[in-house]
Amino acid sequence: MTRILKPKQTRRSVLKKMAAGSALVAGSAAMPGFVRYSQAQSSAPIKIGFQQHVTGIGAAYGRWYGRTTEAAAKMINDAGGINGRPVEIIAEDDGTDPKRGAEVVEKFANQHGCDVAFGTLFSHVVIGSAPRAGELKLPYFVVSEGHHVASGMLNRYTLQPGITDVKSQVQAMAPFVADNLGKKVTMIFPDFAFGHDHRDYFSEAIEKQGGQVLAKIAIPPTESSFTRYFPQIPRETEVVYHVMVGPAVLTFVKEMGEFFGSSRPEIFGFIDSLEAVDIGSAGLEFLDGTYFWEGNPRYAQADQSDFDKAYRAAVGVDDNGASVSDPKDVSTYAHMFGCWETLHIIKAGMEAAGYAGPDDRSKLIEAVEAVTDMPHSNEHPQGAKLFNGKTHQVFGHQYISKVTDGKLIVAHTTSIEDTFYPDEVDYTTQPF
Amino acid sequence: MIFRSLRSPAAPHLTALTSLLLTSPANAHTSEQAFVLLLPTGIYTVAGVSVVAVTMGIMALLPKGSERLAFGSRGLFGLPRSDLTAATSVLSFGMLLCLIWIGFTGSPSPLKNLLPLVFWTLFWMGFLTLQAVFGNLWHWLNPWTGPYRLLPRRLREAEIADLPERFGSWPGAVLFLAFGCFMLADIAPEDPSRLATIIAAYWVFTFICMILFGGERWLARGEFLTMLLDRYALLSIFARRDGQLRAGMPCWQLIESRSVAFSVAVLVLLLLGTGSFDGVNETFWWLAKIGINPLEFPGRSAVFWPTTIGLLAANALLLGAFALVIWTGLRLAGSDTEFTEAFGVLAMSMLPIALAYHAAHYLTAYIVQIQYALLALNDPLATGADWLGFGQSQVTTGFFNTRDTVRIIWLSQAGVVVIGHVLSVLVGHVMVSRLFSKQRDVLLAQLPLALFMILYTLFGLWLLATPRGA
Repeated sequence: MTRILKPKQTRRSVLKKMAAGSALVAGSAAMPGFVRYSQAQSSAPIKIGFQQHVTGIGAAYGRWYGRTTEAAAKMINDAGGINGRPVEIIAEDDGTDPKRGAEVVEKFANQHGCDVAFGTLFSHVVIGSAPRAGELKLPYFVVSEGHHVASGMLNRYTLQPGITDVKSQVQAMAPFVADNLGKKVTMIFPDFAFGHDHRDYFSEAIEKQGGQVLAKIAIPPTESSFTRYFPQIPRETEVVYHVMVGPAVLTFVKEMGEFFGSSRPEIFGFIDSLEAVDIGSAGLEFLDGTYFWEGNPRYAQADQSDFDKAYRAAVGVDDNGASVSDPKDVSTYAHMFGCWETLHIIKAGMEAAGYAGPDDRSKLIEAVEAVTDMPHSNEHPQGAKLFNGKTHQVFGHQYISKVTDGKLIVAHTTSIEDTFYPDEVDYTTQPF
Repeated sequence: MIFRSLRSPAAPHLTALTSLLLTSPANAHTSEQAFVLLLPTGIYTVAGVSVVAVTMGIMALLPKGSERLAFGSRGLFGLPRSDLTAATSVLSFGMLLCLIWIGFTGSPSPLKNLLPLVFWTLFWMGFLTLQAVFGNLWHWLNPWTGPYRLLPRRLREAEIADLPERFGSWPGAVLFLAFGCFMLADIAPEDPSRLATIIAAYWVFTFICMILFGGERWLARGEFLTMLLDRYALLSIFARRDGQLRAGMPCWQLIESRSVAFSVAVLVLLLLGTGSFDGVNETFWWLAKIGINPLEFPGRSAVFWPTTIGLLAANALLLGAFALVIWTGLRLAGSDTEFTEAFGVLAMSMLPIALAYHAAHYLTAYIVQIQYALLALNDPLATGADWLGFGQSQVTTGFFNTRDTVRIIWLSQAGVVVIGHVLSVLVGHVMVSRLFSKQRDVLLAQLPLALFMILYTLFGLWLLATPRGA
């Protein structure tokens, strides 16, 4: 990692120099080979601490979060960096562990001199790290999907502007399920809080659509065979909603296929069960014709946007959502766009705030809180979004895809409004 | 162990905090584990255990002494007399210094920093196995012997303090256990600067002990890496003997072990015990035992004490079980052979199993980590260099995503475990034959050991097949 000493400057000098810097950047674009970064102000990099799940249970996600982050940083740097300064990603392994997560946040602030921290996925690590980020007054941009940000349990320094939360995702599924698949639902979920959250939020949402949950089948987390649970599915079930996770998930799909044979109800699940698994894998044929929530469509669709095309190319992902260098290396496509989009929001926020250094961190938070619309663009390839500055949570379109010939084809895109729920917190009232 | 996550699917989120939270489901990364559960591992396990059992049957039928023929060796060619190990050791020490420097000043990411990649992936996962296959390469790489020889003779011969004989090799055994705790229970054993601190401190500690107690003495009885690598070298095909390079069947040197210190025997069993626990602690079974939901593993910090206590208990259990096996065997044969003598030599026969566990356990992590290691070697100072011409290559784990490749990987692991047990059976048979003169006594004394090895085969294959959550 290159280490560049950052000269001390006054805010006024920075602001003054920024104007000159912008002109230089604009000029440099037209002059190949010309120094890319503004030399008028500090060319010290903006340091972004990347709290990465390198080891621990999140490592498979961490690898793709890493690739996406590097691609986004490259794109930002190729376009002149942030406020004319290059972006430097400083990745630290949090071991997917909350205690280590807090230590890493501390290293970002005190040892590496990072401007912000970013990139955490797993909820327990976010929950373990956010209080420390708050104490250190380090802006902490998480990419977690957890409802912990919008629930109000965290703090003013923690934001989730690049990925929607699960509460909004789950409730947005209900209208499509009720209107197209059926109103009598049986839910199969792992018997702990993750499954319980799906159970509770979906039950409430489907009832609002005039549907009902006929049975709630909770599977003990240590189970690795499921045949004895399937007979509990009521006969009149029109839709099975499943959110199984863990190493036994392929066994679950196989056994469900064997149980239903050729006559099955409609089946709806969350792609998390099969994130990074080739849908065309032997044994998954049974999934053909079933539906999945996708945070971002893994397969390039017929109406693929230019933004998605550019994003795939930058990260090195092919039309099937796999690595261009190994078609079997399927990415965590439904989630990793969050890193890309979050980095671009950090850039936009820093530029709006005239961010010059750690003293401007509160200005950066205020600038991001002031963001509302995020149009579908190269910066937001997953789709348009609306940011709620009060709850620090972004809202966006969700995708429901149907497995067709071993590929996921988008059958429905929710509106952003489908994902709204009443605010549970107003972080802007908290002092810095 | 540290790289467990590469194999396990991610689990959900910590939820005990509040039921208000809709925990994000970004956890269900189904990897090679999911495909393993679809493989007919039950059939494979029966086949593997049968191979070990049949080997035992054949051994029992062969006339006494015939198995020793298999462990002969032959000279290949003469080796030059010059001893360059001091020079290579100094070179190795220089490289270690560079790595420690990189650990402190390089990328904080364990996937990019050369120190954790070289230490954990190339050395701990890879080199141990190379040593066991090709012979005592550590003799050349040991980073203490060269610098030690550069010390003034007066200092080297001073032996300032005494390391009493009754301490045997216990210092090394204790240090190995401490290393095991660091590897399995520490919150971040791969963190570059943390690892650099520990490696630097251990190098200095060892060097001081060498000066205090005498270099060779401390390396042989206190420096656990040299101790375990010297033992693993006994499994190898090649060895230097009387200025010659000799080759033979794996373990041909191991059967030369005649009297083994009790503390060395314990160290060998600690290798096996620690390696075994380093599989158990990831299983659904273990996680359920310590009250952890295997689908939402909370991280190492939450299981520090269960892991530490579990590691110590697993080793105690193995030592106790093995002692019982030896004691019962001696009783069955009605032998007056000393318990410690039998315990010592027969513990050595467990070395192939210990190595097999090591190789099988790390195989999946190794094939991923080695890619990172090569990329880091390509650009060791993170300056954008392309020394090895890998360019912008990306690491892949695609081989965990198809049933066919997962089957190949699993069968390779299982094959290594079975071969390890077969070798242990052969070596154990030779050792027991040497302790008893009558064929009947050999068979009776071996019965408990045979049962133990069959159960251990079953256990090893179960470990590979059972769902893991950490």
